[in-house]
Amino acid sequence: RGSSCIRIECIFFSEFHPTLGPKITYQVPEEYISRELFDTVQVYIITKPELQNKLITVTAMGKKLIGCPVCIEHKKYSRNALLFNLGLVCDARTKTCALEPIVKKLSGYLTTLELESGFISNEESKQKLLPIMSTLLEELNATGACTLPIDESNTINLKLIEQRRDPLIVQEYDVPVFTQCKDHFIKSQWDLTTQQILAYIDGFRHIQKISAEADVELNLVRIAVQNLLYYGVVTLVSIFQYSNVYCTTPTVQSLIDDRSIQEECLNYVTKKGQKRACLRDVFQLYCGLTPGTTVRDLCSRYSQQLQRVDERRLIQYGLMKALIRRLQKYPVKVTRDERSRPPRLYTGCHSYDEICCKTGMSYKELDERLENDPNIIVCWK
Amino acid sequence: MYIHSSSFDLQGERKSMYKQSENSFFKRGEKTSPISVILVTSGSRGNKLLFRYPFQRVADCTSSLTTKQRSPYALNTTGDVLEDPDGDSREQTPLTDQQLVAGFSDIILATILATKSDMCGKKFELKIDNVRFVGHPTLLQHPHTIQVSKTDPSPKREMPTMILFSVVFALRANADPSVISCMHNLSRRIAIALQHEERRCQYLTREAKLMLAVQDEVTNMTETDGSPQSPFRQILPKCKLARDLKEAYDSLCTTGVVRLHINNWLEVSFCLPHKIHRVGGNHVPPEALERSLKAIRPYHALLLLDSEKALLAQLPLDCSPALVRLIKTCSAVKNLQQLAQDADLNLLQIFQIAAHLVYWGKAIIVYPLCENNVYMLSPHANISLYSPLAEAFGQQFPGHDLPSMLAKFSLPLSLSEFRNPLDASVQEAQLIQMVVWMLQRRLLIQLHTYVCLLVPPSEEEPGLLRDEELPLVARVGGRSLSTPSALSFGSPTSSDDMTLTSPSMDNSSAELLPGGDSPLNRRMTETLLASLTEHERQVILNIPAAQSPEDLRMFARLLHYFRGHHHLEEIMYNENMRRSQLKTLFDKFRSVLVVTNHEDPVISLFQSPLE
Repeated sequence: RGSSCIRIECIFFSEFHPTLGPKITYQVPEEYISRELFDTVQVYIITKPELQNKLITVTAMGKKLIGCPVCIEHKKYSRNALLFNLGLVCDARTKTCALEPIVKKLSGYLTTLELESGFISNEESKQKLLPIMSTLLEELNATGACTLPIDESNTINLKLIEQRRDPLIVQEYDVPVFTQCKDHFIKSQWDLTTQQILAYIDGFRHIQKISAEADVELNLVRIAVQNLLYYGVVTLVSIFQYSNVYCTTPTVQSLIDDRSIQEECLNYVTKKGQKRACLRDVFQLYCGLTPGTTVRDLCSRYSQQLQRVDERRLIQYGLMKALIRRLQKYPVKVTRDERSRPPRLYTGCHSYDEICCKTGMSYKELDERLENDPNIIVCWK
Repeated sequence: MYIHSSSFDLQGERKSMYKQSENSFFKRGEKTSPISVILVTSGSRGNKLLFRYPFQRVADCTSSLTTKQRSPYALNTTGDVLEDPDGDSREQTPLTDQQLVAGFSDIILATILATKSDMCGKKFELKIDNVRFVGHPTLLQHPHTIQVSKTDPSPKREMPTMILFSVVFALRANADPSVISCMHNLSRRIAIALQHEERRCQYLTREAKLMLAVQDEVTNMTETDGSPQSPFRQILPKCKLARDLKEAYDSLCTTGVVRLHINNWLEVSFCLPHKIHRVGGNHVPPEALERSLKAIRPYHALLLLDSEKALLAQLPLDCSPALVRLIKTCSAVKNLQQLAQDADLNLLQIFQIAAHLVYWGKAIIVYPLCENNVYMLSPHANISLYSPLAEAFGQQFPGHDLPSMLAKFSLPLSLSEFRNPLDASVQEAQLIQMVVWMLQRRLLIQLHTYVCLLVPPSEEEPGLLRDEELPLVARVGGRSLSTPSALSFGSPTSSDDMTLTSPSMDNSSAELLPGGDSPLNRRMTETLLASLTEHERQVILNIPAAQSPEDLRMFARLLHYFRGHHHLEEIMYNENMRRSQLKTLFDKFRSVLVVTNHEDPVISLFQSPLE
């Protein structure tokens, strides 16, 4: 994948000159940073000691400059210290988070080079910086990655990594389902745990079950799935049972509005080996899901529409695309004796899915237990 | 049905909720709260940090001065970078927000936050590792004018001159861009007020002098006593500006509503929508809020979130009389159009004031309460036994508990069904109050009926989606039935595009035409049905009900609503029809219509967070 829309406008190398003070020694392309701009921001580029080794991003005059000031102290340098900063410049509107690790790495590389062979303090070797910076600019903008040998023992390896949102916490009663066809998955790219559990991800097994059947510790499964979630490889749905209740969301209309969703849906939910189901039947089925109606009820009421439709995949697709949502049951213990302990699970915070998973009870068992308790009411949401 | 808003103290509830979790807020690193507020200036005395809040603890003061030593807050030194070839800089222990900013000494903050004068008048944004600073540096005077006039014989002024100042907020680096933008906005507003007061009576210079004097005093004391103290703690009781900044910070961290009186004279008010509009643990992005507000219809209603009295008490003395009239006249059973008539304002004004109240978290948009409204428990409702809401409900309605009431709405329940409870001991009026209470706290969502035209496919090639089978929505041009798009916050628009009467005059056809099977009516019906495919037309015409010209005409007239985007109540309003008429029509043509119930996406924003 390319470096999703980050364009580096300029790479600059700035240092503290013993007589001239802070200046830009090299920049590619030339003359990009004006005298005016540098004057305004130099305090953030060649900095006081307190700010050294920090990633600093400053926005000024329509540009964003990202750098990491370095200071190497040694008697051999005039003024006993070498101060420099290799930074990047982008347009002020760019989201530059993904560039930060690169700037940090570059500062590390240059520091190493200086400490090992005086790469920067030596006027001759310093000149090699210019072609290095040129190559960096070109390759990072083109492919988002760059590999550059500097000398016999040092190579720069850089890659722009897309920043993604933090994934949700994966619970033991969540069910992972592949967002794309499983066959597109290259097993060997992933870690061992993920490889081990892959076969068990079928869109119906929940985390606890995957852990038990794949014989992998529960937390490892959670973390592996969370990782897959982060990369958008899977999404989470809830456990499927014929006693489940669902209802439509406003998004269900997208099945009517959006041709691509229609195609995808009809292909996904049609029973294998059957002619493709028609839109009307599928839409009627989704609209047949209402509070108080179980999947079992739906099957008996809409048996004609279900001739060519797999109800499990229908529900699965509906959840993945948020056309429908699950109504979960939450028991709440509203009255109790003064002497009895306060409820731990029947507080309205834990769904049947969660309680059954944690206690090992089946839905039916939990139902029977709670139905006979006059102090407990059940909320659906 | 008359609804009396009772005196619920929503603000009080919110404040008490926050007091409990205030400590955890600071530790958890709330992404919508600032970490610190800092006031810096630049002038003839150089760059100075005048005030910062929260204060550094004394221990931090000393450690930040010695930067050569390994400070606990220092991140990677050059040595560490060598060890980790990937360049991943990971802190040893995650720092709390306070530590992140406390690690910056006063001096370094003064250097980096008091910018050069050419950065003034614009947004200032600086990110250092995990902290983001945002402000609006403001010039007090042109740098050239601080020269004493050559003709002025008086001795050089002793008072140092201030060239620029900046009120800076420190945030977590990963704060949402809209939060950063809002903080900048507040910084700018405070700056405008301070600039004004400085020009009028040198307010800022005076406060700055006080602050610096206290700082000098404390430094001297430290040198003689040897016991370090925070000068900022001493500044607070002496400087109103310091107290104002502290209050701004505290408000931003809790309620999100800031009201300051700079120099006891200029009011600066500001709200952080991210704190006010929180549903299900997430904030509602301001852009989404604005989009929703623009889609409000005249048949919606405004539900106040505070009692009338409490709301009126919060308004400034010089507020608009229209606002006061609206608050006094509005009610959950009245739609905006009726409100306009009752409050003697035009509809556009009503929309603008309503949007304003909603933006400030003082009201929400609902469908007006009536018998047939169907409500259900919101998926984001907090139904916990121990929630502050449960407690508040118990206090408001003694003898009843919230979970039991909420359980009743597990299945969709209409207001009329709810009002006939099994135990007649509960007063009818109180039941309505309970529903209003629950709506105000986003515990309930309202379900509406949506209809979609879907004709059974023809026999020849079932299952194939031919181009002709594209659903109606793709073929019928969108007729916009929305409120004026010119609605935006504070900008005046012409009221030409709004009428007080029902829009059915414009959008419904055949209203004024005589009934019966006149050739004109038949032609009209044909035209309306022309957008259908041949197959669809055939199927519809074969329905027994289609034999009645009246029914067919009504069906054809309403055809453009049958794409699942207009609910029953909207059709009723636009077409001036009764619910029973519509329901009967749907029933007659049920073989080609699919009906479903769900919340109205336009106002469901106020009940559910966005993905």
